[in-house]
Amino acid sequence: MADVLPEAFLRAVADGFPADFLTREPGELQEYGRDWTRVHSPAPSAVAFPRTTDEVARLLALCNQYRVPVVPSGGRTGLAAGAVAARGELVLSLQRMNRMEPVELLGNTVRVQAGAVTEAVHHHCAEHGLTWPVDFASKGSSQVGGNIATNAGGVKVIRYGLTRQWVLGLQVVTAQGQVLELNGALEKNNTGADLRQLFIGSEGTLGIITEATLKLTPLPGKQDVFLFAVPDVAAVLRLFREARRAPLLLSAYEFFTDKCLARVQRHRKLRSPFEAPSGCYVLMEAEGKDAAEVEGWLGSLFERGLVTDGTMAQSPSQAIELWALRESISESLSATGLPHKNDVSLPVANLEAFCSEMDAVFGERYPGWEIALFGHIGDGNLHINIMKPEGMEKAEFLAHTKKADPTMFELVRKHGGSISAEHGIGLLKKDYLAFSRSPAELEMLRTLKRALDPNNILNPGKILDV
Amino acid sequence: MKILVTAKRVEDPESKIKVKPDGSGIVQEGLKYKINPFDEIGVEEGLRLVAKHGGEVVVVSIGGKEVQEQLRHALAMGATRAVWVNHTGPLDQMGVAGLLQKVAEKEKPDLVILGKQAIDDDQNQVGQYLAEFLGWGQATFASKVESLESEQEKNKVPALQMGADNKSVRVVREVDNGLATLECALPAVVTTDLRLNLPRYASLPGIMKAKSKPIEELTPAKLSVDVTPKVQVLKMASPPPRKAGIKVPDVATLVDKLRNEAKVV
Repeated sequence: MADVLPEAFLRAVADGFPADFLTREPGELQEYGRDWTRVHSPAPSAVAFPRTTDEVARLLALCNQYRVPVVPSGGRTGLAAGAVAARGELVLSLQRMNRMEPVELLGNTVRVQAGAVTEAVHHHCAEHGLTWPVDFASKGSSQVGGNIATNAGGVKVIRYGLTRQWVLGLQVVTAQGQVLELNGALEKNNTGADLRQLFIGSEGTLGIITEATLKLTPLPGKQDVFLFAVPDVAAVLRLFREARRAPLLLSAYEFFTDKCLARVQRHRKLRSPFEAPSGCYVLMEAEGKDAAEVEGWLGSLFERGLVTDGTMAQSPSQAIELWALRESISESLSATGLPHKNDVSLPVANLEAFCSEMDAVFGERYPGWEIALFGHIGDGNLHINIMKPEGMEKAEFLAHTKKADPTMFELVRKHGGSISAEHGIGLLKKDYLAFSRSPAELEMLRTLKRALDPNNILNPGKILDV
Repeated sequence: MKILVTAKRVEDPESKIKVKPDGSGIVQEGLKYKINPFDEIGVEEGLRLVAKHGGEVVVVSIGGKEVQEQLRHALAMGATRAVWVNHTGPLDQMGVAGLLQKVAEKEKPDLVILGKQAIDDDQNQVGQYLAEFLGWGQATFASKVESLESEQEKNKVPALQMGADNKSVRVVREVDNGLATLECALPAVVTTDLRLNLPRYASLPGIMKAKSKPIEELTPAKLSVDVTPKVQVLKMASPPPRKAGIKVPDVATLVDKLRNEAKVV
């Protein structure tokens, strides 16, 4: 791995690109060398800021020629160290490529550059009553290119599915510097294998996404936001069973434990809407079909003892306050401690069995440790955060979790789950990929990587080693 | 003890608020609404007083039938019943105070609590007019020292305290150079400042119960109040847009700009 960029490469960049194209300023290297994970120390050699697809293409051709490893970089809000540059790589930031074209109102699509910030896309489309329904806590920083490269999930998956469902066309620059236009703005295109899908979720290991045509959908109707207090995870699942059959169109069914709430209160100084503390909380967002029916259903939750307390936002401001409790969790865990994150998914039908066995694993592997559990339970997705105990060295903590993870992943495999629901693999989870992918699949992934990137310059070492 | 609290319907600050091109008002389309946050604080304070001294909180709002949403919100928080003065069309602060005066004379509360101002027009006048019209004492800007109700704050004496005989109220209020404590004979008018309390969330059972709580409908005619505005809004305009910030290369340039351009040092 090149720690120092070849002289000839630097000369070629200086000759062929604008003066502000590349930076090697230490503060910037620190900043652009990492994502939201804090396991690896950032150590890129330089950061490049292209403004056009042509610049990306010419840069990659040079990188390929001089064997310079490249880490593509968006909003750097990833949680699997997919955008971490810890081994002298060149970081390729797409942030200057944030142009958005006018919304195409006949086809409900919009063409944007990879660096467009998710929330900016939302604002851009909302004027026309449309939205790109990819939505998560980091929407103010995350970028479209990164969302697509990681097939991001988020808080509205239960209604809208993953990022993959909302991408019509991609412009991708290959390791050799070729520009591919994949699928354009076509809804239907049955002309052989869909290469666009190859790049969605590839975490920048197969090509660099520079532009995308996004599929849009009408903004949802009036959403009611509820927060329920329930005693435990089993009760969260019982309530979910009811919510599935309720006269409501669910757009979010999220849960978090009291441990998460305590960290949120510590870090963000937010308050709980309830007087009495509870073991678990459920945040539900839904569109009611019939007010009287919904009311009857809500009333029955209390009568049947399915919830111990509950509130419903009385204004958009209150809805935002309730959502903040859920959306601040990730940030608050990292700000108040060191979490070891697992992001697993299970078939929804197996969640109950998995959760009851998971407690046994925690008891055995992490006796007395703080475990902050939250997630998109409606999608079968659990975020399991093992918090570093006070006073334990970081290295010891990481070694301990590394030893304990296989037990957890074995349980995930047993119940037909995935070891990474939406965070991706990056560097953090690659040792465990085999828990979710068969040897034949892994070999196929390697064959693809070798075919598309023979010099292994695109985000090398992420997902798997060739 | 009976406490009358106002619940004005105002634009939710989460909505995008735009002035109409002709300056005749703001664009209503797509706007969302909520209870005026200062009034919400008033409802909370009323509920706390009633929890301690017994009695009821009666909530009042003026406007078209949509203000029932804000009345229901206050009822869901725990108010006992509501009064709705059905009126659409322009209304100035004296019109509002005149209507509230009649409602107060009808309801005969021990205390009227209002937000010190509404976040739409930020007038800060109705509480004062109302006290004058009623001939009652007034204590404006009731407040506590710290915001966010920290543990210490909860243990402190509340800003509104009833006298032992329930015939007076002591009010801590925020003034320019600190805190002033007033004592008013009841009935009185109190207006709330931001740091008085943190209003509770309405519980789901409360929200459902609120749907069957009574809302009495009144009109300016029924109250015999002439609400013809004496104050007329001639034109609304957005403040000039802020200029974009600039980056300065070093401290010397910054100091120079502060001294010679901004003239602040």
